Amino acid sequence: MNQVFAIAATTVGEAIRRRVLLIILMVGLAFLIIAPSLNELSPRGQQQTLIDISIGILRITAAILAVTLTVYLLPNEVERRTIYTILSKPVHRYQFLLGKYLGSVVALALMIGLMTLVVILAFGIQQQTWSLERISPLIKVPFMMIFQMSLLAAVSMLFSTFVTPVINFFLSGLVWIFGTLINPIFERWGAQGEASDAVTLVARIAHYAVPNFSNLDIAQGAATAGATQIRGSEAVYMANGIVYAVVYVCILLVVAVLIFDRKEL
Amino acid sequence: MANAIETHELTKAYTVRGGRAFVVDHLNLQVEEGEIFGFLGPNGAGKTTTIKMLLSIIYPTSGTAKVLGEEIGDINIHRQLSYLPEKPYYYEHMTGMEILDFYARLFRMGKAERRERAERLLQRVGLADAGFKQIAQYSKGMQQRIGLAQCLLNDPKLLFLDEPTAGLDPIAHIEIRDLILQFREEGKTVFISSHELSDVERICDRVAILNRGVVKAEGKLEDLLAGGRIEITAGNVPESLRDKVQQDGAVVSLHEGRLIVDAPDTIATDGLVDAIRSAGGKIISIIPRRRRLEDLFVETIAEAERGGSVQEVSN
Repeated sequence: MNQVFAIAATTVGEAIRRRVLLIILMVGLAFLIIAPSLNELSPRGQQQTLIDISIGILRITAAILAVTLTVYLLPNEVERRTIYTILSKPVHRYQFLLGKYLGSVVALALMIGLMTLVVILAFGIQQQTWSLERISPLIKVPFMMIFQMSLLAAVSMLFSTFVTPVINFFLSGLVWIFGTLINPIFERWGAQGEASDAVTLVARIAHYAVPNFSNLDIAQGAATAGATQIRGSEAVYMANGIVYAVVYVCILLVVAVLIFDRKEL
Repeated sequence: MANAIETHELTKAYTVRGGRAFVVDHLNLQVEEGEIFGFLGPNGAGKTTTIKMLLSIIYPTSGTAKVLGEEIGDINIHRQLSYLPEKPYYYEHMTGMEILDFYARLFRMGKAERRERAERLLQRVGLADAGFKQIAQYSKGMQQRIGLAQCLLNDPKLLFLDEPTAGLDPIAHIEIRDLILQFREEGKTVFISSHELSDVERICDRVAILNRGVVKAEGKLEDLLAGGRIEITAGNVPESLRDKVQQDGAVVSLHEGRLIVDAPDTIATDGLVDAIRSAGGKIISIIPRRRRLEDLFVETIAEAERGGSVQEVSN
């Protein structure tokens, strides 16, 4: 594992210095800082509205960061020939891939953590409250978002083993949109048999083939009753979501390793 | 002596429209332990592809190869070899010391050992004062030296160097060349792919010239470069002498009494000089010209393009 951690550490170091990621992060942070002002302008100006706006900005920024960071991870290493010096050492290809992935997850977690801190500060200052009960959604949702983005990063990592970065960007974006917005609908069709048999079958296949990011979405789970049912306590729901993400990530990485292992570099 | 590298019918082909393109075509190569081997060829000859196959970065279409006695693909042999790619890039945010520490971690070395080796190698490649500078601030020569330092971290038996002196200034050039010569003294095998033929001529024991994936010339440099030429220049030479000196493959130029003879060094120089003198001519210079690797390279590639056969000089 020493090799994996060494590769992960350099990946984090590179990621937090990449200009394009820093620009996306800065834009996201700027929106998060002005979010309370936008909330003031809304007629209701309610606490829940501010939470929704902040989490929405956080989610979109995190998703763009996850895809932008991951799509270039492998192609950059090949283009700059860094991968050649690394693979000429006693390093297996799966160790390289795993190291790059873990590094990107840690970098994403750091960026989401920074944005979360800004959200909490902006919320606390605007609402004049630091009560843990009120702030807790702003901690739990980003925490689950780290797993959501890890899943998205694994999707991009898999695509990057066989498509170009530009195609990967769009494919990953499509998977993200499908898995966030459309998959919950397919899940309902597939489970409840509201549609015809053929549609139910297609819905089931689509539901299992594409990761369901809403399984890791506490806010959506709470807001859209029926779409993603929260069974039992919130802790159980979160634990189920984490297990779902970890299992899905493992499957995606195994497939990625199998492709990458035979890839001509 | 055992072979450090051995390939048998090693082939890399890609499917293209209308058939297959052979980048490396049934390559049979032996590199002995402890020698510096020059792997030459024009761009696209298949040099880097061969190195990548030997390092399992890409996979052969057919054929076999052994590196340090083991079949390629066995990751454990990578503990005893190193690779410096052409135009390498190192993570620019890291310092020279951090880069070496990173590569040393890939060999699972402990912290103290990593630090000791990194310091020693920075000293050896002349970067002792630049160890804590970021790679982004390194010149091209310094980057190449840090590349060689990372190659030496594991004290390898075999080094693959792809264009190690390309684009360097003359001083950096000489320093890198001297370092490579030190590797031979340490008993390491060095496999160099290069276009810098003057360097190859100075440091390599044996060379192979590759064209379109096929070895066109291979052997010891001293054997391949045997057979130089002699250039004789003389003045006041009458026209009637032209036919007399035009013998044994000599190229003769006679214009307004100035004679230039370019002949193989096997020609009977004494007889030629006597003939010029007895005809009233005056010898201006006699210059022996050793055959250079550049000549051999150009001749071999030109011959290959015309469809010539493999030139092999036995050891």
